[in-house]
Formats: sequence, C-alpha cells, structure tokens
Amino acid sequence: MGPSIGGRFRVSPNEFMFRKASHLLARVRRRAVEVVLAAVIAAGLVFGLATPERVDAQAPAAPAAAPAGPRSSQKAYDAQTAASDPSTPGPVQPIPFSHALHAGEYKIECLYCHTGTDKSRAAGVPSVELCMGCHTHFGGDMEGVQTLKKYWDEQLPVPWNQIYRLPEHVKFRHNRHVSAGVDCQRCHGPIETMDKVYMTKDTIWWPWLLPSTKPEMGWCINCHRENQASQDCLTCHY
Amino acid sequence: MTPPPGESIAAMIRQTPVPPDSQTNRDVMNIFMTTPGLGWLLLVGICLGGLGGGAAVWIYQIYKGLGIAGYSHPIFWGAYIVTFVFWVGIAHAGTLISAILFLFRARWRNAINRSAEAMTIFAVFTAQLFLGIHVGRIWKAYFILPYPNQRALWVNFKSPLLWDTFAISTYTLTSLIFFYVGLLPDLAIARDRTTGWRKALYGSLALGWQGTSRQWKSHNRTVLHLSGLATPLVLSVHSVVSWDFAMAIVPGWHATIFAPYFVAGAIFSGFAMVLTVMIPVRRIFSLEHILTNYHFENMCRFLLLTSTIVTYAYFIEYFIAWYSGVEAEKTAFYLRLFGPYWLSTWIMIVCNGVIPQLFWFKKLRTHIPTVFVISTLINVGMWFERYVIIITGLSREFNPAVWGHYTPTWYELMIVAGSFSFFSILFLIFLKLFPVIPISEVKELVIHERAHASGQPAGAH
Amino acid sequence: MPEIHRREFLKLVGASAGAAATVGCSDPVSKLIPYVIQPEVIVPGIANYYASTCQECSAACGLLVKTREGRPIKLEGNPEHPINQGALCARGQASIGRSYHPDRYKTPMKRVGDKLEPTTWDDAIAILSGEIKRAGNRTWMLGGQTGPTASAWIDKWVEAVGAGGRVVYEPFAPEALREATQALFGVASEPVFDLSGSDLIIDFGSDFLESGPSPTEHARQFAEARDIAKRERGGARFVYIGPRLSMTASNADEWVAAKPGSEGLLALALLKVAIGAGGGTQAGRDGVAAPLAKIDIAAVAKQADVPLATIERIGKALGAAKSPVLLPPGVALASRRAAATARAVMLANWALGAVGKGVSIPAPRDGKLPSYHQTLALVDAMKQGSVGVLLVHGSNPVYSLPPSTGFSEALAKVPFVVSLASMPDESSERANLVLPDHTPLESWGDAEPRPGIRSLVQPTLRPIYDTRALVDTLLDVARAMGADVAAKVPTDSFRALVEQAWAGTDFHAALAKGGVFAAQPGVEVTLVGSAVDFEMAEPALEGDGDFTLLTSPGALLYDGRGANLAWLQETPDPVTKITWVSFAEISPRAAEKLGGLVFGDVVEVETKAGKLSLPVVVRGGVRDDVIAIAIGQGHTVGLWSSGTDSGHPGEARGVNVIDVLPALTDESGGRAWLLTKAKVTNTGRHEKLPICQDSQNQRGRRLGLAVPLAELAAGDAHVEAEHGAADAVPGAGESAPGYPAHGEAAHGEAHGSHEMIKAFDASMDRAPDSPYRWGMTIDSDKCTGCSACVVACYIENNISIVGEEQVRRGRHMAWLRIERWVGDGNLEGGQDRLPIFPDAESSSTVDIRIAPMLCQQCGAAPCEAVCPVIATYHADDGLNGMIYNRCIGTRYCANNCPYKVRKYNWFDFALERWPDPMYLMANPDVTVRGQGVMEKCTFCVQRVASARQIAKNENRVIRDGEVTTACAQSCPTHAIQFGNLVDKTSAVAKAGSEPVRGYHSLEELNTRPAVTLLAKVQRGTVEG
Repeated sequence: MGPSIGGRFRVSPNEFMFRKASHLLARVRRRAVEVVLAAVIAAGLVFGLATPERVDAQAPAAPAAAPAGPRSSQKAYDAQTAASDPSTPGPVQPIPFSHALHAGEYKIECLYCHTGTDKSRAAGVPSVELCMGCHTHFGGDMEGVQTLKKYWDEQLPVPWNQIYRLPEHVKFRHNRHVSAGVDCQRCHGPIETMDKVYMTKDTIWWPWLLPSTKPEMGWCINCHRENQASQDCLTCHY
Repeated sequence: MTPPPGESIAAMIRQTPVPPDSQTNRDVMNIFMTTPGLGWLLLVGICLGGLGGGAAVWIYQIYKGLGIAGYSHPIFWGAYIVTFVFWVGIAHAGTLISAILFLFRARWRNAINRSAEAMTIFAVFTAQLFLGIHVGRIWKAYFILPYPNQRALWVNFKSPLLWDTFAISTYTLTSLIFFYVGLLPDLAIARDRTTGWRKALYGSLALGWQGTSRQWKSHNRTVLHLSGLATPLVLSVHSVVSWDFAMAIVPGWHATIFAPYFVAGAIFSGFAMVLTVMIPVRRIFSLEHILTNYHFENMCRFLLLTSTIVTYAYFIEYFIAWYSGVEAEKTAFYLRLFGPYWLSTWIMIVCNGVIPQLFWFKKLRTHIPTVFVISTLINVGMWFERYVIIITGLSREFNPAVWGHYTPTWYELMIVAGSFSFFSILFLIFLKLFPVIPISEVKELVIHERAHASGQPAGAH
Repeated sequence: MPEIHRREFLKLVGASAGAAATVGCSDPVSKLIPYVIQPEVIVPGIANYYASTCQECSAACGLLVKTREGRPIKLEGNPEHPINQGALCARGQASIGRSYHPDRYKTPMKRVGDKLEPTTWDDAIAILSGEIKRAGNRTWMLGGQTGPTASAWIDKWVEAVGAGGRVVYEPFAPEALREATQALFGVASEPVFDLSGSDLIIDFGSDFLESGPSPTEHARQFAEARDIAKRERGGARFVYIGPRLSMTASNADEWVAAKPGSEGLLALALLKVAIGAGGGTQAGRDGVAAPLAKIDIAAVAKQADVPLATIERIGKALGAAKSPVLLPPGVALASRRAAATARAVMLANWALGAVGKGVSIPAPRDGKLPSYHQTLALVDAMKQGSVGVLLVHGSNPVYSLPPSTGFSEALAKVPFVVSLASMPDESSERANLVLPDHTPLESWGDAEPRPGIRSLVQPTLRPIYDTRALVDTLLDVARAMGADVAAKVPTDSFRALVEQAWAGTDFHAALAKGGVFAAQPGVEVTLVGSAVDFEMAEPALEGDGDFTLLTSPGALLYDGRGANLAWLQETPDPVTKITWVSFAEISPRAAEKLGGLVFGDVVEVETKAGKLSLPVVVRGGVRDDVIAIAIGQGHTVGLWSSGTDSGHPGEARGVNVIDVLPALTDESGGRAWLLTKAKVTNTGRHEKLPICQDSQNQRGRRLGLAVPLAELAAGDAHVEAEHGAADAVPGAGESAPGYPAHGEAAHGEAHGSHEMIKAFDASMDRAPDSPYRWGMTIDSDKCTGCSACVVACYIENNISIVGEEQVRRGRHMAWLRIERWVGDGNLEGGQDRLPIFPDAESSSTVDIRIAPMLCQQCGAAPCEAVCPVIATYHADDGLNGMIYNRCIGTRYCANNCPYKVRKYNWFDFALERWPDPMYLMANPDVTVRGQGVMEKCTFCVQRVASARQIAKNENRVIRDGEVTTACAQSCPTHAIQFGNLVDKTSAVAKAGSEPVRGYHSLEELNTRPAVTLLAKVQRGTVEG
C-alpha cells in the first residue's frame, strides 16, 4: 500500500537487529584498541612470532589464528569460488557462503541453522555465534571462514543481502508452511544446489494465461488453491 | 413536449431572408477558418491559467494527501464528487438533442446538436477527471478495472461505483462515435475548402467522404441506429450516477425517486449549459439567421418542463421523509432547509425551482439576455443541488456522535475552477477547429424550405 | 505484488506501465541483519512477556510487558497481580510511550550559557560530585515517590554525601486522609477501600474511577458490587456527592450536587440520620453520639444546599445498608479543612461498621512519605539562599507548584540545580545539569502499594540512549566523592540493590510472577476516644467572585505527568470528549448569567493569584456556582504537552489552572486545592474546540439504551428507549415520529426490540465450513467510560495520532471510541447538534449511558456491498475484513457505515506523526496504513490469526478465552467480552443471550451486528 510499507516505517525484526548491531558497533569501536592488542598477543602466543602485517588491524587477524582443524576439501574451495563469482545470478554476499556445500554436500538440515523457522513467522537467520559453533573447528583455512571469524572477533553481525522479501502488508508465516510440510525449495528454489543464492523465477499459469512469478500474490494463491489452503484475504493481509 | 411539425419549422425559418447554400457554408466556415482573434486568445490564456492552477493543486494533493480538502469524518465526499455529478449532468444535453430529438424528428435540433454533442463529450472528459481526483490512491486506481490479473482478484459488481465506471465509459464512447459520424460530411466540406495542414487534417478525418447518395444513405442509417443505441444511455447514465447515492443507506440519499430525479436534473442542467454557451457564440459569430430565437425558445420550453420535474422531485423527497416516519430521515431533511446548509438549499430551490418558471412568459423566453441570465443561474443552482444532496446527507447521519461540518477549502475550489477551464479550453479549440453548426443538416433544412417555396419535390437540385 | 508508491507514482506519470510495475519490488540493497549472539529466549517473530510494575501512579498495577525482538511493544495487565488482575488503565497503557519519546534526553546535559549542551557521564558526575562537596549540607533533594528500596537507599545516600536532606513531593498525596486515620485510630496510613462487598457506596468526590488511589482496582470492585447477574436487588447503589458530574459520577445512581466544602458536614448529617434509623454498630452509635448531637441536619441541608428530604432519604438508606462504604474526598475537594472532612467521613465509616469490612487500615509504611509543608519549607530555604545544590527527580515542581509559592524565583536563587528527568519538562529546562534517568521500562525497581504486596520492576528494554538509573547515577556520584562516601552506601548497582532488598524471597520466581503477593489484612483499630470531638465547619474560600474554582485532576493527564504522552492527549476526555486543550465547565444557568455563553466561548477566570482565559463547555453536570477546570494542561515544554506539535514551540498548550491557585495547606499541612473563588468574565472571543463527540443527545435513536431495574426484575422488561423518548418528546407518538408511543405500540416495539436479538443469529454470518464467528458483548452497565480500551486499541493497532488541528477538523483516527449519551435524548435543538450536552444531565437521577462504539462486524454490512474493489469484504470467520493494500480510497464504505467507525488516512499520518524512535514501538503484526487508505477495527485479527496458528498445529479449534482483543483485555470491569459465537458455551455467547438487556446499536437498520450491547440498568435513587 502506501509509502509507509517499503519505506522508513518497515518494522521488521531485521530493522531492530540492525539497531542492536549499531549499538554493538559503537561499543566495539570504543574497544577497538583492546581488540587488536588481544588479537596480536593471541597470535604471538600461538606462533611465537608476530609480523608487522599482523599488527595491522585491517588485515584479518584471523588467518593467523586460522588453520585449526584439517585442510578443507577441494569441493569446499570450489564452492567458495563459485559463491563469490559475481557473474552468476544473485548478489555477492559479504561471506561467500555456499548453500550447495552445506545443505547439498554436507546434507545439513535447513532448520539446523535456520532455527525457529518452524516456530515463528520469521525465518531464523543464523547468528554469527551459530556459525562459529562449527567453524571454530572446521574450515579455518578458508577465506570465507576467516571473514566470518573477523565478524565474530569484532562482535559484528553479518550484513547479508536479502533475496526474498515480502512487503509489510503480507503476513507470511514460515512456521505454518513448515508444519504443513511445504519444502523450503517450493518457494526458495533448489537451494541445496546453489552456491550463491538467487531468486528463482518460477512461473505459474493461473489464472488463464497470466504468468505470475514468485513471490507474487498469484503464485501464493495458486499454491493455496492446489493445497486447499485458505484463500481468505485476512489470512495474509491485516 | 412534442416537437412541432416540419412545416412550422420551415415557417419559422422563412421569417429570415433565405441564404443561398454557399452562404450557409461561408457563414459557418468563417467561424473556424478565420485565424483566432485576440479575444479568443485571451480566453484561452485565462483558461490555461485556471487549468494550470488546478493541475498544480492536484499534483500537490497526490503528494500530500486528500487532507488538504475540507473532508472530515463523517463527510467523506465533497466538492469533487459534487462537481463530478455536475459535469455528468451537463453531458446529457448532447445525446438527448442528437438522439432522442432526432428520433422525434424535431428538426429544430439541427442547428444546435453539433455544439451540444461537443459539449457532451467535453463534459464527460471533465467528469472523468474527478474520478481520479477523488480517489485516495490514484496510483492504485487501476484496481477498479475488471482486468484479468495474476492475483486472481476481481471487482465487486455489486458496487454502484463500478456501475459508474461502466456507464460513464460506455457513454463517452457512444457520444464520441455519434459526434464523429455526424461530423463526417462537414469535415468533407471543410477539406474541400481548406489548404495546408487543415486540409490534411480534415482530409484524413473525413475518411474520403464524397457525399455520394450511397454514402449519405448509409450515413443516415448509421445516425438513425446510433440514435436508437444512444437513447437508453441518456436515461441510464445518470440513473446509475444517482444510484451512487440511492443505493447507500445515508438519510437523504436512500430514495427511490433518485433515478428519474437525477435524469431530469441532468437534462435540465445540460440544456442550461448549452444556452449559456451558445448565446454568446451566436452573438460573437452573428449566427442569428441559423440559430434563431425559435431554437432558443424551444430549449427554454424544455428547461421549463425539466425544472418542473426537478421541483416535483424536491417536494417528493420531503414527502417521503415525512411519510417514512424515520426520525433520522426527517431530521436530515429538516436540517437541509433550516440547518447549517440552509443557504445552499435555498439557492438550489430558487435557481432550479422558482426562477425557471418565468419561462411561462413568452416575452421572457424569447428575450435572449434574460434567457442567458436564467440559464446561468440554473447552472449555479444545479451545482448546489448536488452539493446539498451530498453534504447535508453526510453531515447529519444516523449517529449524532459523528455529525460533522464541511466547507470546501481553496484547494478544492481551485480544482473545481480548473475543471471549468478544462472544459472551456476544449470548447474554444473546438470552435476554431470544427464547424460549430452542422452545415449539411442546416442546408437540408434550407433545401426543404426551398422545396416548399417552389412547390417542387425536395432534393431535386 | 508490485508496489507503486505515491511519490514514485508522481515520477512515473507518463512512464510505461511496464516500467511502473517493476518499481518497488523487493529492492536488492535491503539487508538481513542477524544477531551476533542470539539470546535463546528470543525467537524473531515471537513475542516474549515479562512481568513488571506500572510506575504511572501510586497504585502500582502489575504489568506484562509484551516484547518483540527485545523491544516492548505493548503493556498489558498482569493477571496474577492482586491490584489490577490483568487490566490496565489508559495512563498505564500509554506509559510505554515514555521509553520511545522523541523528546528524551539522549545524553547528560550541562548548561553552557543559557542553553543545555550534551556532555559525558564522567564529566557530569565529576561536576556534580564537586558541587555537592562544595555545597555540603546545603545540598537538597526534591523528588517524587520512588519504590521502597530506592527510597531507603536514597535516604542513606543523602546522609552519606552529607546533604541537608530530602523532601518527597507528590502533588496529589493523600496527606489529609492519613492525618485523619492517625487522629481517629492512631495509625498513620491511608485506608484501603474494598468496594466489592459493599451494597451502598457513597463517594464524597474522590472520583475513585478516574483519579482515585487505585482506579483500576476500584473499577473492578465497583463492577463486582453492582454485577446485575450475581448480586440480588441489582447490586450496590452508588451515590455521588460533589459539585461536578465527573466520569465517576456519571456511573452513579444518584448525584447530590452539594456545595463544595460541605462534604464533612453532609457525612455527619447522613451518619446522624442513619443512626437515627437504627444503622451502625453498637460501639459506633455510642462512640459518635457526642459529636452528632451538635449536628443540626436542617442547618447542614441549608449550608450544603441539598434538600433536607434527600439527606434523610440517603441517610435512611445508609442506615439500612448492610455493608456501606463512604469514600472521603479526593484532590478536587481537598479544602483547607480536608483533614477534618476526611475525619468525618472515616468516622462515619467506623460508626457504620465499615472499618474492618469495606475499609481496612493497613499497618503504617516506613520510609519517607510525601509532604507538602516540607516542600514549602524547602522553597523558603531556597528563597533565603540556604540551598546550594538542588537535585530534582521524578517530579516537575515548576509546573505543579503554584507560582504563589514563589518556587520559580526560589529556584533562580539556587546556584546549582540538577535534574534527573528522562525527558524535558519545565523543571529540567531550568537545571544546570541534567542526568537523564532510565524510563521505567529500562530500569530496575520495586513497589509496595500496600503491606505484603511487593511488586518488582524489571528492565525489558535495552536503554535506547545514554541514560542511567537514578540510583546508579547517585551511586556514581558517591564513588566520585571518595571511597569513604561510597562505603556508606555499599552496593555495586541498582540491580544488586534490588536483589539484596528481595533477598528473603525466591527472586527469580518473583521476577516471573511480577512480585510477591501476600496481602496482609488491615490492623485491628479502635477509636481514639478524644478523636470524635473535632470542629467541622465549612472551609473559607479565598477571594471573591460568583464562582467556586474547582480544580479536578485530569482523568487522563492526572497531575500533568500524562500531558506529554500523545495518546493521553488524543484520547477524548471521558465526559466532554474534548482532546488536546483545556476548557472550563460551567452550568447553563451560569452561562446565561454571563451573557448567554455557548460551547467554545472564551472566558477569563480571575482569582487573587492570577488570571487565565480559556473556552467554556456549558453542561448541566456542574453546579451553578462552580467553574470546573481540569489539572494537567498548560505545559510550555514537550512535543505534545506544549504547543510544539501544533506549530507553536514554547507556547503553552491550554492553561495550567495551578497558576491561579493560592499556596495553602489544610490543617494537616497537606496540600489543599479547593481554595478560591473566581471571577468569570466573557471575553467575547470564540474557539472551535477539538471535540470527538458532536452531540451527547442521541435523539431517541437506539444507540445507548437503559432498562429500569423494576422491569428487569419483572422479567418482561423492555429496553427503555420508548418510554424515555416518548416522555422526552412533547406529545409523544404522533408528534414525535420515530418514537413509538406508550401502550400497545410501545409494547409491540418493546418486544420487537428484544426479539431483534433473536431475529437473527449472528453466528450464521460466516462461511458455512468456518468453525468461528467472532463476536463481542459490551455491557454498558459495567462500562465506566475510563477509556483504557481506547488507548489499548491505539497501541495494539499502530493507530496514528493526528494532533489537535486534525482532531478539530474531525479527523480523529480512533477505531474504538466511547460514546456518552445523556438519557434517551430528544429532539430539542432539532435545528442542529447544539446543545452538545442535553439539559437532562443536570438531573439528580443520573442517566448516562456509556456505549463503546467500534466496528460492529455486521453480518449484512453496508460497507461491504459498496466497495468497488472488494477491499472490505466478509471474511470466512464472519469478520468484516479490511484489506489495506487493496483499498484505493473511494471512501464509499465510510459513507455507508451507519456507525461511522471507519477512519481514513487523510495524510500520511504513518510517516508524519511517528517521529523517531517511536516506530520502534509499533506492533510488527499490524500493517501500518499509508495515505489514502481506509482503516477500521477488525477485532484484533492479528491476535486471532496467531491463536489460529497454535490451534491448527494442535489441529483443534481455538478455545474460548484463548484469544481476546486488546480492548477486552484492558477492561478493568470485564464489560467487554470477546469470543466465538458459534460456540454457544462461550462467555460471549452466554453474555450476549441476555434476554432483556441485549440490543444492537441502530438495530432497525438490520445490519446484523456481531456486537451485542447490554442496556444500562437504571437502579433509580436510593431508598431507605
């Protein structure tokens, strides 16, 4: 509807998290010096030698701390390269995270990272902490993971680029669809094959020869029709 | 009223010196062939100013919101809808004159039907503007069209507003075709008498009209059928508009008489507008011998008739309010006369009910200045009629907790003024581009007259 | 769906539709920001509730703070809390706005030249500690009442830093009452009144439903006592004695418009009659024999300007009553003899055996109590320049102390003034240093409204700005002053302090529950023999003039603390329905005397202390010799409290009536308000007031109905409109069309009227396969008009505040409004809506019908049929759906709605009226409506939807009571019932099937509303 929707007034969880993040940012800035020092000393202790580059705050202190655990597979490296390739569809993310690798190759359950998606209206975007849960042990040698570590060290959230977004007046509930047994792929496409996530252009032909691509209303309605789900306007708009 | 037989028309026309047909042509052609005079330019300038102002306000309103108008809860409709209904009303004369009077063979219509039709079209255009001006989210207004869409959403065919959408668009289309078909022969004449861009224009518009008897035959057929087609529209359009109100439960709106009441009102205002416009035109372009007093007098008779109908409707409204015994209705109508809007109400009653009765006197209805003044007053009165119906209805509804008061803001008035400018500009351009008098039809009359004069069968020339 | 926004549309006019269609689709730049460390309790999209305590007034109601992603979005009553039991008043609801207030101080401020400039905490603390060191015992603290823990600690702190002392200042502290209790029973504490068991309530102007000691609690008890279903004989009768028909009085059965100041005498007179009629306990009769002997009832009748018969009648009833409760005067009638008056009333309570039943005397509470005379003493000290540093917290003395105290000048004499306010007010603007406090939602704390009921305040919002809790600030100061000082106030933080204070309890359980609730019974009291002998005479009034100036606490703004909360400004005054401005109430006769004043004419009110000019409201609900002005407006600082919002920064909004009051106390040294006469003169100017109900005369239309108790008992009673209206209209019947006449017609109509309910079954207006038809029942016999539901609705549904000018233009956005009807109304003033207040209001038999009006969710909705785009339609579960994003704004639906409950966004209120950081408190579950869209109540469909998710997961239908609307939830008296009409056993269905009282608003239009109203019960005047 009016400008209030897209505009400044969007009161999505994200917005608040962003405010929260900016608070953190402020705190971290105050502490920047300590953080760097800590990193340096840590590095020094680990390798007994601290080269000037590592003192530089800009250069990720992470690689130094990195190679914990085994060297990652070639697959992983390929996935990372693919995920950071701007020529493929979809925006390049701050971290070249590959769903193909995690969901496809390693067969990690979607809900493992996207917690709360089955409980809440909003899909849970994994917290940095959650990523670190594994990545303190694995993939330390990979650039992507090192970037992640950097975020963790600085206690910053990862500013992911949003791919799927509905206007405020659409009250989509992830939990309902999960518990109704709709696969994530139904809306998010073959996510387990995507190194870099992009919006797939599914098309339906309802009503009569009118293409509707996701996530447009007709597309939702169509699915609701097929599954005898409610088509009452108030189900999604209030 | 029943039209007078053709003879008497001829008789009327005989009073004036009979011009040779080429003369008629020249008279009419001179109007729009001659380069625009200073006065014309001045008028256009003024109107452009008004139009610009209106447009600016509209844009500001889209940006800022309808709040700049005088609306409040509970008065959700105001000057915009009032003016919309006003213009739709104006739009009625044209079709009535061209279609119904054509079918009635009321020959005297010929001289005025062209301008009346033009007015119809311009009025409808103007009216349609207000549908856009009135809605809160014009950037979403396309929702009101029943177009197939991927959302699988449809429109509500129960809503009078939707009926409006259809009624108005149908009316526009039909009137446009009617206007154009009638214009064809004259365009041909124009084509033959002009050079340069005009020739090109008329040439292309004339669709290669040669005036062969075959073309005339089919032309007349078309006109006949179109009139048949258009006649119900005269009644339907304003009936539908009236249902916008009659279908609502608002006290003062919810009355069965609304459809005939509005149609009569529309014709009333339409004729008034034609007079208001054509009297100056005739004067300026000295067309007295074509647009004779006889034409005007007939229209005055029409005004008299419709005025009486409208006045009757006013009375009936009150009767029903009293007869219903519903306190809300009675209060609404009581407050119409003696409440905060008494002035508007009395303007309406005097201008539409009382003054037109002067037309009972032949002296007055043939005295052109008087006719001009009265017709103008009628226009004012008819605008106020809609104002009274809409505003007093909404301001005193069922729940006294939300009785409100409405006064139009300057923004609204500027937009209303803009609409008048818009209408005028269109008409002024029309004056300078197309024959304001239907040459061929007038000539037809003249020929008939000659035939009678020389006792020979018509058309033998 | 492709979104084309308005401003884009303007750019796009003329561009191809294709181009337009692509605009506004999810833009690639939008970011998805996860937590760094996600608290395990928070699941984005799911609300968390935390128990806390409301800090708006001394009642200390329990809160459930609804938070989403770590930010509170609504305050709800804590069902487990004994005081409010799940309800929450309008002021409490609105107080959430304090945390998101655009005015708030974002950092400490220090005075540089003539204005305040931001500084750091370290700097500020250093400065302050330095100043206190220098000033030593010339340091003083002036502040409002804080929780017991904080209060005790602050006293310690005052000692530690060697300050001169601390004065607690509350404008409305019930000192006289405490004094009276002290004198009568030797216990210095405010009595606690429990109305729930009473059968006769006589209120001597305490206005217990709006500004009393505990409005929400008393409203609930009041409703219980009068519950028509549970109590025989129609439950308790309620007599209101006072010069103005306030909101509380509007709920009374009888209004005795006694001369202000005569309450004490009346109490004794009534007591005398009562005892004469054999009322009261044995002990009581003996105890009060002596003082009553002095009372001459006839004389009192004359003095009080009350018919002798009335006194006798009510007195007899009082004598006959089993458990009467007499409520002593509140602020409005606190005269110079307030203590004596309170004593008289309490004495009556005691003599009639109410003490120990409806009235209990709690054990006196320790800790510092508010004291007005101490405050005045401090002001004197300031004048003499013997105050070096003044710390002001939790109060706004510059505003709330009368100028005649000379506080303002005195403040100028104080070299260093420190304010600990969290947002600017008149006092903090005068400070040299501002140390912004947390808001109650950001801070720890506790409260003990009465012995045994200990309630916790816990932070539910991470401090938005760089602020600190009062105690923490003072702690830092102590530390900065040296280890020795700090050692005297040993604690590491306010939180630690609170935990320490609650050491005895299971702190976490207490946090979860909201506190520890073990109400202690009142102490056993005996009458102090000598106490009965006191001189009770009328108070003297300052100055001259024909009018007594009556200053009543704002029903919503209270002592002015609510003035900067937009919701309280925008919510109409419960009686006059006026918003945003001040006004004076006078009676029609007085208006006549002043030259035929009408609604909105501006008068000048002059007393010895000063003058102010403000518009008048002419209504019968005021004594002829009284001019009533509400306290609360007239601020010069604050976005909404001052003229800033209306575009006149620095100018006062309305008038502050305190400015014209002399600074006088009652015998106890407590603050007196009923002090002065006033001259009133007509200025000849006129103002258009921002009023939200254009007439309280329902003209016999079926909006607010009433049933006489007799007929209710008789069983075949019919809704009373017919009689009343017929009477109201001269020569009923024929001459009064629209109203059925007496006799047959009336009866037919009557049965018609209550058959209307059976005429259709609202539960049928749904999709055949839908298990739900949501409906509501509103009992106008229980509704007090307190407006809690209105504010709850505003906050739950992100309704925009439109401001004074727009309200004046009739663009109030409230989805739920409370209509106040005076009797059945009549056709008087048929010419127009004036007079707004029918003269019937002045009758001593109160007949005010309060009918909340919200979308009726009609089964045959006039709005649905006329919407061309089906933006409003009948949903499967019977709701009258409103799809904002489909609406194109033809406004036809609103025209066709007979109830006029549809509100239109004339401007982009959502953008223009929600300054940062207010949007943080918006409810994410409700779409915020943009410009050009119609909006309305949908029975909190977002709550229904959430409940449906849960039910679906467990595949069952939603249970009764599982989901309720914001209005029903906030209602202290449970007047509003919400639920599923299909389920015949649901509370709402049961309540709605009330055979006699049930009716539908404007039912003759046959819109098949899902809202059933229950007619008000006319209990008539009290009889002995």
